[in-house]
Amino acid sequence: MDIGKITFLLNDEPVTIYADPAESLLHLLRDQLGCMSPKEGCGRGECGACTVILDGKAVNSCLVPAGKAAGKNIRTIEGISDGKSVHPLQRAFVEKGAVQCGFCTSGMIMSAYALLAENPAPRQEEVKRAISGNLCRCSGYKQIEEAIMTAAEEMNENRVRFVEKEQKE
Amino acid sequence: MQPETPAVRELISTEKNYQSAEVWTKVTGKAIYGIDLRLPGMLYGKILRSSHPHARIKKIKTSAALKMPGVRTVLTGSDLSCSPYGIVINDEMPLEPEHVRYVGDEVAAVAAVDDKKAEEALKLIHVEYETLPAVFDTGEAQLPEAPQLHENFPGNVAWRREVVRGDPESAFRNADLVVEGKFHIPQFHPAYLEPVACVAVSEPDGGITLHTAVQSPDIVRDLLAQVLKLPLSRVRIVGPVMGGGFGGKVYGNLNLYLISALLSMQTGLPVKMQLTREEEFTAGRPMVAAEIKMRMALGNDGTFLGREMDLITDNGAYSAQAPWVSNTLAERNDSVYRIPAIKTKARLVYTNKVPTGQYRAYGNQVANFACESLIDMAAKKLKIDPLEMRLRNCVRPGETTVHGLQIKSCGLAECLAAATEEIGWTKRKKGHGYGLSAAIHASGSVVFDPNLRGASARISLELDGNISLFTGEQDYGQGTHAAFSQIAAIALDLEPSRISVYSKDSLVTPYSMGALGMRQATIGGKAVQLAAEKLREKIIRTSSEMIGEPVIMENGRIRSASGRQVDFTEIAHYYHGQTSGLTLTGEGSYVPPESSYDDTKYGNIAVTYSFAAHAAEVEIDPETGALTVHRIVAAHDSGRIINHLSASGQIYGGVAQGFGMSCLEGYLFNEGRVANPTLADYKIPTALDVPDITPLFIETDDPEGPYGAKGLGEIVQVPVPGALANAVADAAGGWVTEMPITAEKIFRILSNRGAAK
Repeated sequence: MDIGKITFLLNDEPVTIYADPAESLLHLLRDQLGCMSPKEGCGRGECGACTVILDGKAVNSCLVPAGKAAGKNIRTIEGISDGKSVHPLQRAFVEKGAVQCGFCTSGMIMSAYALLAENPAPRQEEVKRAISGNLCRCSGYKQIEEAIMTAAEEMNENRVRFVEKEQKE
Repeated sequence: MQPETPAVRELISTEKNYQSAEVWTKVTGKAIYGIDLRLPGMLYGKILRSSHPHARIKKIKTSAALKMPGVRTVLTGSDLSCSPYGIVINDEMPLEPEHVRYVGDEVAAVAAVDDKKAEEALKLIHVEYETLPAVFDTGEAQLPEAPQLHENFPGNVAWRREVVRGDPESAFRNADLVVEGKFHIPQFHPAYLEPVACVAVSEPDGGITLHTAVQSPDIVRDLLAQVLKLPLSRVRIVGPVMGGGFGGKVYGNLNLYLISALLSMQTGLPVKMQLTREEEFTAGRPMVAAEIKMRMALGNDGTFLGREMDLITDNGAYSAQAPWVSNTLAERNDSVYRIPAIKTKARLVYTNKVPTGQYRAYGNQVANFACESLIDMAAKKLKIDPLEMRLRNCVRPGETTVHGLQIKSCGLAECLAAATEEIGWTKRKKGHGYGLSAAIHASGSVVFDPNLRGASARISLELDGNISLFTGEQDYGQGTHAAFSQIAAIALDLEPSRISVYSKDSLVTPYSMGALGMRQATIGGKAVQLAAEKLREKIIRTSSEMIGEPVIMENGRIRSASGRQVDFTEIAHYYHGQTSGLTLTGEGSYVPPESSYDDTKYGNIAVTYSFAAHAAEVEIDPETGALTVHRIVAAHDSGRIINHLSASGQIYGGVAQGFGMSCLEGYLFNEGRVANPTLADYKIPTALDVPDITPLFIETDDPEGPYGAKGLGEIVQVPVPGALANAVADAAGGWVTEMPITAEKIFRILSNRGAAK
């Protein structure tokens, strides 16, 4: 295998690693960078547990060759909150009972995160479609969908509040 | 009746959605699962599996693999000194020394410095096979000329059972109506999202520490000690977070555990192993497949008079828990209704296919498919409303069922009424099909191990005034530990968040049967209640000793008649000082009431029983047979609900799984080889597939369970196949008798009736 130098942003911080560009981004994140939140449930892009965000798009990191990450911004669940407060999606997942075993949760939240970035007020059908590549065997999805809708509402309220505050100032 | 204290009222109101702290590690990506484990110096193990369904191993050459750089050891069956083992039947070896019996059977194992090298080394192992005739069909396997899989099981029958209760002959002779059917059920995989993973560490004292997430760690510990011939105290199981189990991880994957332990003992280094998704499907333990022939005798008024079942279950190559699953599959549905006469003949048959085990509800859910279809067939013939027929026959509180189950709390009739009311049973939408189904499931088996019928728990007051609870009951998302915190919180009059639950290290947690048989909430929760009540007594006694006056404990405060107050921290420190370091600890052991259980397996098998009725609403496309499941209403009597959020989650998830097995899933084989070993081909429901699910709770007050609670985790799946089969039949005019219910099968019914457009 040919080892190459790959540089990209991981949760807004530059990282440089030496890896086979054909190696999967999932293995690179987990084995080289110690970023363990993307999970391997199948290794074939069928379960979505390894979902990360690559330049704004939710992708199965097990199917992305590491070389494709070069120059991109990769976001994982470690990078959706500042470490002090939690993201509205994280809070809503806890409050709505959307987490059981939790193995799908990181990937599920990343798919939801990508959806809400593009579509801040999704209809339930759009939520279902956005997470249809993320399998969950525990929950039947109902409480996950509720959590995503709730987080969307909270984020929109925050946005409105922010705009109102700016207008006042 | 349970006492209705303010704490109990609070339990069922304000704290009903309590979630334990672990959930935060899961939404921040910090939870450590089996696949995430890494230990210094760790090796990676891989298994070479048989590519033949049935063969003799003539020779194995491992020298090339051993010479490969990075390979530390290679193990074959002939290196092992252990004897065949099993959960019920001793018919399995961690690595087969000379005889492989299915595609996937373990032949050799490698430990190397990384998983790629281990994988490459497998290709350098040369196995010479002599192929043998194989048998894939349970009928053919029983013929005299069929190849024999195991020496001591003529006709390949691994287990058999015949049981007669009452007088079935006269029941059928005197019946006004006899209905019969033949039902086919394939293997289903629990398809937990995390494949089984473990790290085995051989310890300097010769023992083994196995890091793995498993539903019943203590039983796995017993089996490892037995097979590896180690003293029990030298085997320790430490659990990471579990990525789903659903009964499929009661024993995890025993061969994987044994092989990693053997590799670690051989190399002196930790060895990590994990199954791939394909290995999960081809060499995991899916639930037994079944062929059910069934007859039912009824009176003209719809009264059930008797039932006969002829059951053949497909064991695959080895037995795992298949005998027990077959037994539940054969019998449990008999206790949903008053059926005075039963005749059951069951056989479990070896074939050269993937070995089978269990999946949530132990076969009760697939038997439901047959039993409940037959009831609706009879209702249609007798022109009786299926709801009326079920209400006329369903079991009621205080009754003893045909197999001797003693029913205490029972809200089955109320579940039937509530589910049908909610679905609009009498206000049907035109063109839609409606179906109903009912279920019982044992909550807290007392016959699984006659020497250990109950559970125990230990609960300590820490120096900071918080509480540590030690239990052997496992939580992998069902909410068991949140519920335990709530139960202990009631006894100790404090907030559940002050109680931390520890369950994942066999060195320090009480011995337990673990997560099976819906025993955790009922039996485990009761032990927690008793332990917490003991601690409460000790706290009161110690406080009164400390201040020299009698005290009372109320709303989390301890005070004397003269008005002196002490808090938990002060008491903990006082006791700590008095005893030079001990903590105040309450130990609780719940030993269920004795039950008679005879040789015919007649008797009360569980502490209590949970009930459910599901109603389904479907629509089928008359041109293609395509099925749309609009809605499933799931009404459950699981006693008092301790945590509504988690309980609802169990219903949503369990019904979704029931929908998956009823309509999408099922193993396919080609010459014994699993033909759909991926999540692309073995389809489990996505967010777009799952129908609208409405949970309803009929809260009875159980006299045995903690604060009236009963189990829920398994029964959630049980009524789904029957409800869907009946709803489809209502829409299509005939029953699909083969799971899963697909468009093709529905179309065949429509065509046969001439109804297809």
